[in-house]
Amino acid sequence: MRAVIFVLALIPFLAQLVALPLVNKIHPLILGFPLFHFWLLIWMILTPIFTWFIYLIQKSRGGFDE
Amino acid sequence: MKGNLTSLIITAIIILLVVGIGFFAGRSKTSRSSVEEWSVGGRRLKSLLVWFLIGADVYTAYTFLGLTSSAYSGGSVAFFATPYVVLAYPLAYFFLPKIWKVGHAHKFTTLADYIKGRFDSKIFSLLIAIDGVLMLIPYIDLQLSGIQDTLRVAGTGYINITLVVILSFLLVAFYTFFSGIKAPTYTAIIKDILVWVIMLFMVVSIPIIHFGGWGNMMNAAVDQAPQMLTVPYHGPKGMLWFSTAALISAMALFMWPHTVTGVFSSKSAESLRKNSIVLPLYNIVLMLVTFLGITAFLVIPKGTDPRLAFLELIRMSYGGTMQGLAYSTIALASLVPCSIMAIGASNLFANNIYRDFINPKASAKGMTLVTRYMVFVVIGLALLFGLMFPNALISLQLMGVSGIVQIFPAVVFSLFWRNLSKEAALSGFIVGMAVVAFQYITHNNFGAYEGFWGILANIIVLLIVNPIFVGKAKERNNPVMETLFHSSAK
Repeated sequence: MRAVIFVLALIPFLAQLVALPLVNKIHPLILGFPLFHFWLLIWMILTPIFTWFIYLIQKSRGGFDE
Repeated sequence: MKGNLTSLIITAIIILLVVGIGFFAGRSKTSRSSVEEWSVGGRRLKSLLVWFLIGADVYTAYTFLGLTSSAYSGGSVAFFATPYVVLAYPLAYFFLPKIWKVGHAHKFTTLADYIKGRFDSKIFSLLIAIDGVLMLIPYIDLQLSGIQDTLRVAGTGYINITLVVILSFLLVAFYTFFSGIKAPTYTAIIKDILVWVIMLFMVVSIPIIHFGGWGNMMNAAVDQAPQMLTVPYHGPKGMLWFSTAALISAMALFMWPHTVTGVFSSKSAESLRKNSIVLPLYNIVLMLVTFLGITAFLVIPKGTDPRLAFLELIRMSYGGTMQGLAYSTIALASLVPCSIMAIGASNLFANNIYRDFINPKASAKGMTLVTRYMVFVVIGLALLFGLMFPNALISLQLMGVSGIVQIFPAVVFSLFWRNLSKEAALSGFIVGMAVVAFQYITHNNFGAYEGFWGILANIIVLLIVNPIFVGKAKERNNPVMETLFHSSAK
């Protein structure tokens, strides 16, 4: 389970720091945003979901202290 | 050029209203009865208030004016602030509850308190305190220059700007002295409601006024300034800079003395956890406002001082009442955060410098007064430096984030890693600071954010030095380590 938590924690960081050269483009424009900014915007919404999953896993295992 | 009287009057009314709330927040005498009450609200603040204490720090005058001006002159590089404020919270999710837990168990109000307890070292704690105060005063000055610029555009010809700036900062110092942490908490609620309403209104209406809508504005940007919509790959501020700036700023957010104050005020670790999950969403307005920097580039006359780009855009788009509301929002975003910053710095001064090195026998009552009076010293110093030597401050201001983040390994690693030795953490910190200072002196960032190279050196040195002292670290045992590593073994 620690491995799952680690991966869930790592993904938002990879997406918003490491994967950026892949999305550093203007087109396609999505919802009025260049691809680059749309990507950042989407991760603003996805990041809390990832952290929330971690929270649920930790809670169901009854401990945050590990 | 004359200012705008309507907007000046509205700004004045709203500032006075908020100052009133600042005093009202501390009407109960308990607010200033002890250091713990005054600086961390007796550690009784509920989730919703903690939200504003640890979330509202992001919405300062400096972020509005700084990010729009950097988008105006540099394009999309300014959007590093989006991953920064998003990623700060999943990081915080893991370590804030632990910091809170030790803080709660041992009555800490600063990170320097924690370092002293964790490593049994007053000297290390002193260095952390000095780093905090040294980086925070220029940060307060950034806010000060925010309100100065706002008043300059709105009030030229009507008021003496320097005098008004001094007066408003003194009012903030007084209500902070009086109400303690309650003041920034309640005033932050008003500030953030205004920020959300006014900034969202601007994000929607400014594109309509100048282009007919957001979509048209974006098309114009794609046509006229495509280079501003992506991040360059080379140069001092390219992709590597973008990612490292976001990462380092995210790590630094909860190393600031004032954000930690908010953390210690929380009633429970659970409330910090829940806030950390949701807070990234709160920053959507910040991202949308950053776009207005690019809008400004398309709309306002070329050659405008980038510092004033956003204020100019607002003036050109509205004038009158709406300009007043927008300016007062920025003025509040400048004053309100100063209150909690002053509390953070005062705690460091009083606990980790005054009590530990000047007057160890200070009584509890004496300490409360010293901590509270320090607010005037901190804000006074900020005013003095900000108004008298604005240029000397620039390098320190730039160093702020990179300098404060160097305490991250000592603070955060030591929460999880029992056998991290004092010697390793301390040498990492010193080398990290030296690397940051070296880059500012030589004006070369090697393509990445300065704090990144500092943190890299910091961690490498820490890892090399630790094996030498690991024996000593294994023998070390103290109440703080007991709280961190013993109870969790159960």
